[in-house]
Amino acid sequence: MAGTGGNGAGRGHSAAPDARIGVFICHCGGNISDVVDVKRVADEIGQLPGVVLTLTHMFVCSDPGQALIEQKIKEMSLNRVVVAACSPTLHQATFRRAVARAGLNPYLFEHVNIREQVSWVIVDKEQATRKAIRLIRAAVERTRHLIPLDKRRIPIYPAALVIGGGVAGLVAARDLATRGMKVTLVEHRPFLGGRMAQLHTVFPTGERARELLATLVHDVVRHPLITVLTNAQVVHSEGVVGDFQVRVRIEPRGADERLKDQGNAIAACPEETLNDFNFGLNRRKAIYMAYPGCYPPIPAIDWHSCTKCGKCVAAVGGKGIKLDEQPREVQLHCGVIVMATGHDPYEPLYGEFGYGIFPRVITLQQLIRLLDPEGPTGGQLLPGGPPPKRVAFIHCVGARQIEGQSNERAKDYCARTCCTAALHAALEIKEHHPETQITNFYQDIRTYGRGHEIYYERAAEQGVLFIRYKPERPPRVVPDPQERWPLVVQADDLLTGGLSLEAPADLVVLATGVGHHDIAELIGIYCCAVGADSFLLEIHPKLRPVEMSTSGVFLAGACQGPMNISEACAMASAAASKAAAHIAAAQIEMDPFIAKVDEAICTGCQTCLTVCPYAAITRDQARKVAQVNEALCTGCGTCAAACPSNAIQQFGFSDAQVLSELEMLLEGAAVV
Amino acid sequence: MADEQVLHAEAASAVVPGWEPRIIAFLCYWCSYTGADNAGTARLKYPANVDIIRVMCSGRIDPELIMTAFARGADGVLVCGCHIGDCHYLAGNHKTMARMPLVRSVLADLGIEPERFVHEWVSAAEGEKFAQLVRHTTEQIRQVGPLNWPKRMHDRGVGHGMDLQPWGDGR
Repeated sequence: MAGTGGNGAGRGHSAAPDARIGVFICHCGGNISDVVDVKRVADEIGQLPGVVLTLTHMFVCSDPGQALIEQKIKEMSLNRVVVAACSPTLHQATFRRAVARAGLNPYLFEHVNIREQVSWVIVDKEQATRKAIRLIRAAVERTRHLIPLDKRRIPIYPAALVIGGGVAGLVAARDLATRGMKVTLVEHRPFLGGRMAQLHTVFPTGERARELLATLVHDVVRHPLITVLTNAQVVHSEGVVGDFQVRVRIEPRGADERLKDQGNAIAACPEETLNDFNFGLNRRKAIYMAYPGCYPPIPAIDWHSCTKCGKCVAAVGGKGIKLDEQPREVQLHCGVIVMATGHDPYEPLYGEFGYGIFPRVITLQQLIRLLDPEGPTGGQLLPGGPPPKRVAFIHCVGARQIEGQSNERAKDYCARTCCTAALHAALEIKEHHPETQITNFYQDIRTYGRGHEIYYERAAEQGVLFIRYKPERPPRVVPDPQERWPLVVQADDLLTGGLSLEAPADLVVLATGVGHHDIAELIGIYCCAVGADSFLLEIHPKLRPVEMSTSGVFLAGACQGPMNISEACAMASAAASKAAAHIAAAQIEMDPFIAKVDEAICTGCQTCLTVCPYAAITRDQARKVAQVNEALCTGCGTCAAACPSNAIQQFGFSDAQVLSELEMLLEGAAVV
Repeated sequence: MADEQVLHAEAASAVVPGWEPRIIAFLCYWCSYTGADNAGTARLKYPANVDIIRVMCSGRIDPELIMTAFARGADGVLVCGCHIGDCHYLAGNHKTMARMPLVRSVLADLGIEPERFVHEWVSAAEGEKFAQLVRHTTEQIRQVGPLNWPKRMHDRGVGHGMDLQPWGDGR
């Protein structure tokens, strides 16, 4: 374990008297040397006792630069190495590896940041050079107090938690289990399927969304390594990567598999509420199935609408329904976590393009439910009437909104999926009702992606009209003044120089944007980084696109931003691979900067126990001293700061190390 | 304040000719140090008076380190950590928050001007805030003038205030 070489006495340990220090100063191709006089820095640092080598190099991080470090360590028997270059965040690990390759302990290395915190921020070359010298001198002094350390290796518990039972979560769970990992899938709704279940057909293949889902759900729920928990939410989590202890709260479903006569139970229920699965287009009972073929194939009770009247229980003879069931909590142990919490479509405000005022103004999501033969109207667009003669689509509703012109909930970014989804739906209308005339009002339109471009072409071929509006002058939806049509969309056509147009409509469809799903509690639990758009943020959009800055937490699907099903599945598979690679590695390497108690000095006062954020310190009752649990210690050093006897030292940041740096920075500052 | 204004202000207010404030900044690695890097990456400019000491968590910043900085001749000390709620180590910065008022009151007892000690939260994204903080802190301490704590104590005939001898071997 860590710190095998530390004696831990008092303030840390004494300075190495026989230090042979090599200092490498990087030009960074001019990024540093254009401001800092690296030659002068090298000359002055070379004067320091123990410094046997100072070299400048164009790019120390390059292969030749690293080779030079290795060569000089061997050639000159260096036992301490200092590199003055960019931020340690970038290349500290690179240089530690180079040092290790030369056979020197990688923690006998000190990194000095003379780019981000010197050459890039200080204008005056003389001041920059003097600051660089100060910082490197302090680092040189610090290296005298360094001790060899070993990386800590923490075993990874070989199980994964997937949060979210939509298509991304299902794909991630399936992929992880295929690799032989134990998976728990947690879905906060009573049924799996997420947003995809609410679609009818999917682009570009035209397959039925719920049939695709059913295949996936089948793979997941039948897999012996996967446990599915519905109505379940993560409420608490402790521990770090490799060893998360997660508490999940499971709300009672109300019904179980013993319920045979589901139809009668549902029919008996007198309570009705708006059906959120159909975006409020119809009503459903308090005991309900979300959609035909949903999983689990057992009704659930919506406790917000249920009055516990007991009629459903009576209807089935008391078998399989329990109205007094209590929520329960389960404890999960997992090494990695995949977040697949999805998105929520933007819900227009009351009155936005007439939404809420005119019943014939609906959202694209509602249109898709209406097109669905299994939907609330059995596929009829205008229930109880003839098919609409004219349909108008308004694009970019609640998306790509200009700041200050719109409401607070509207998004300024592009929701990416709605151009294709809207034209996909338009073509579906055309398929069933070729005589229906369709007009699109758009800002910009692009059905991007392989196999998607055809949607625009096909729509244009079939006579679908496209009218471009200016973002500053969005279309207006009003009742037809001549009362020949239910509604008229008025717009200025940008492509004919602002000609005012009117398009009569039986039905107005708002192609709404995509917003984040509210997961504030999870964000708090896992300290998730969140972007300005409120979606979860990856470490790096290109180099590490599915990893979160919280180690061991991965991103799958639309919790990261608007994306279509193909993209969400690709991200989910990527997240599963990354998570599986973590588990396959069996252990994770961590910096050895943990705390150690000098039992000879410790008075057993227990101050450290009260400050440790990880409860990693306990008191040895027999010897009356504090003890650090190395597996739990994360190396923050708070205990070292709190210890009134200086009995606790943090490896890599001992009092001696920090004070030596401090004193050398301030050398010559005090004049007595 | 624009960079140029800072430079003018520096020229106008230099209390002691040739004197430059020496300021030590203790920064946590995860938020504030990265925030300082962020200022660099954005090529924001700030004065050269602040030397940064990196610790893993602001919870590691023992008040003794701050007192030692003054005892060794610092004119000012800056302490930065993650915002409350953002600590990489859950709640290390809560301890910082609890300790810093103590430092403030001890400094007041010692007669060290409150302007010399600045405690701020700086996130990894707040490069601009960090640059502004360095400019502002440097200017504030420049206005107060040199501290030279060891000499002050010496002149008062109360020793150096703190032991100026280096910690011996086995410190």
